[in-house]
Amino acid sequence: MKKKSVSSSLSRRQFLKGFGSGVAGSVALNKIASALPLQKTLEKAANDANRTPLNLSVNGKTYRLSVEPNRTLAEVIREDLQLTGTKVVCNHGECGACTVLLDGEAVYSCHILALDAEGKSVTTIEGLLGGEELHPLQKAFVKKDGIQCGFCTPGQIMAAQALLLKNPRPAKEDVLEGMSGNLCRCGAYPKIIESVLEAAKTD
Amino acid sequence: MIPEIGYIRPRNLREALEALGENRETIRVIAGGTDIIPGFHINSRRFRDIRTLVDISGLPDLTFVDLENDGLHIGGAVTFTDIVKNPIIREEYPLLAQAAFRVGSVQIRNRATIAGNFVNNAPCADSVPPLLVYDAVIKIQSTRSEKTLPLEDFLLKPYKTQLQPDEIVSEIVLPPLKKEYRGEFYKLGRRRSVAISRITLAVLVKLQDRTIEDIRIASGAVTPIGRRFRELEDLAKGETAEVDFLKELSVKLGEEILKITGLRWSSAYKLPVVQQMFYLLLRRVCNR
Repeated sequence: MKKKSVSSSLSRRQFLKGFGSGVAGSVALNKIASALPLQKTLEKAANDANRTPLNLSVNGKTYRLSVEPNRTLAEVIREDLQLTGTKVVCNHGECGACTVLLDGEAVYSCHILALDAEGKSVTTIEGLLGGEELHPLQKAFVKKDGIQCGFCTPGQIMAAQALLLKNPRPAKEDVLEGMSGNLCRCGAYPKIIESVLEAAKTD
Repeated sequence: MIPEIGYIRPRNLREALEALGENRETIRVIAGGTDIIPGFHINSRRFRDIRTLVDISGLPDLTFVDLENDGLHIGGAVTFTDIVKNPIIREEYPLLAQAAFRVGSVQIRNRATIAGNFVNNAPCADSVPPLLVYDAVIKIQSTRSEKTLPLEDFLLKPYKTQLQPDEIVSEIVLPPLKKEYRGEFYKLGRRRSVAISRITLAVLVKLQDRTIEDIRIASGAVTPIGRRFRELEDLAKGETAEVDFLKELSVKLGEEILKITGLRWSSAYKLPVVQQMFYLLLRRVCNR
C-alpha cells in the first residue's frame, strides 16, 4: 500500500514532460511552449509601443494596467490578473464559458475589448467567493450536482448570477431563457437548471 | 487573434464623427462588437483593413428612446436588451421587441446594438424584417452632412449598405402606426438561442371589415438581405382576407423567394416552411 503511493508520486505532469523531451525532443517542446498562453503573453509584452493605460475594476479591486487595444477582456482577466476561473472556449461569443458581469449585466468577455471595460465594474467567478465561503450559487451547484466536467461551470454560474440579480425568484422558463447563452458539452443541463432554481430558493 | 489596432473612446457623437472624418479608410466604428470581434478572431476579410476602432457603445447621444410627434426615435447604439425592456416598443412596435428578444442570448443582447444589426447587414439580421414593415427611416450623420433615408434604400446587398466610412447611423425613426395594424413575427433557427436565423418573416396587416386595406410583408435569411415584397403587397390590397386568398398569397411568397434566390440545396425544406408559416401568420393576424 505504502509502496504504491510512493511510486505514483511522480506526477502526471512530470511524467508527460519527461516523456515529451525524451521521445519527441526539444523541437516539439518549443512548439508546445509557443502554443501556451504564457508564451503569447511574453511575446505581447515585448511589444508595448501600442499600449494604453487602463483602470480596470474587477471584483471590487481597481487594477492599473497598460494593455494593447487588441486584447479582449477575457485575455486580460486571465493572463494579466491571473483570474483563470473565467474560461475561454469558443472565443467566438457562442459558448458562454467566458461570461462575466459588466456593471451587473452578463456579457461574453471574449467579445469585449479590455479597454471597453474602463470605468465599468467587472465581476468574475472569483468575485462571488466570500473569503473561503462559497457563494450560494456555488453551493447549489455542488448540492444539486450541476457540474460534470466543470469547465463550463464558471460561465454558467455567472450567467445564473446575472439572472438572479434581475429576477431573484425565476420560474423554470426564466432560467431556461436566462441561461441559454451557455453551452455544456457534457449535457448536464437538467442539473444546471435545478442548481439555479435551488440557489433561488435558498437566497 | 485580433490584429494590432488603435482604439479611440470619444466622449460624444461629435468627437466620434471627427475621429471618423480624419482617418476615413482604415477606421471603423465599434459598438457592441458582437460582429467585429468574432470577425477579427476568424480573420474575416471584411474587417482586415481596420487599423483603428472608434468605440461608440454607451454614448448618451446614441442611446435614447424618445416618443415624438413624428414617431419613435431610437438611438443607433441602443442595445437589444434595452429594446426588449422598453415599454413603448413592446406596446407600439411589438414585432421589433419580439425580434430583439430572439437575437443571440442574454449576453449578446446586452451588447449588440440595433444600428449595428443592419449596418453589418447580414442576411439573417433579426431586427431588419420588423424595421422594414414599420417603414423605418434612419438618420445618418458625418461632420460634413446629415441625412435621412428609408432603411429599405440603405441596405444594398449582403454586408453592404450605403454607409460611408466617415458616417454613423445616429438614430432610427419608426413612424406612428395606427392602432388597427396587427402584426406577427416569425424566426426559425436551428435551436432556440444563439441561433443564426434560417428564416425570418414579419407581416403587418390593416383590415377594414374583411378587406385587406394595407399589408406589409418582409423576410430575412431566406433572401440575400432583409427585404419587402411590394408586388405581393399590391396584389393583396383590396382583397378579402379569406382562407383561399391567404393560401394563394403564401404560395406566391414562396415562388417570389425562389425567383430571387434560385434553387438552393435548402430550398426543398425552406420554401414549404416559409409558405406554411406565412399562411399561419396571416391566419393569426386576420382572425384576431
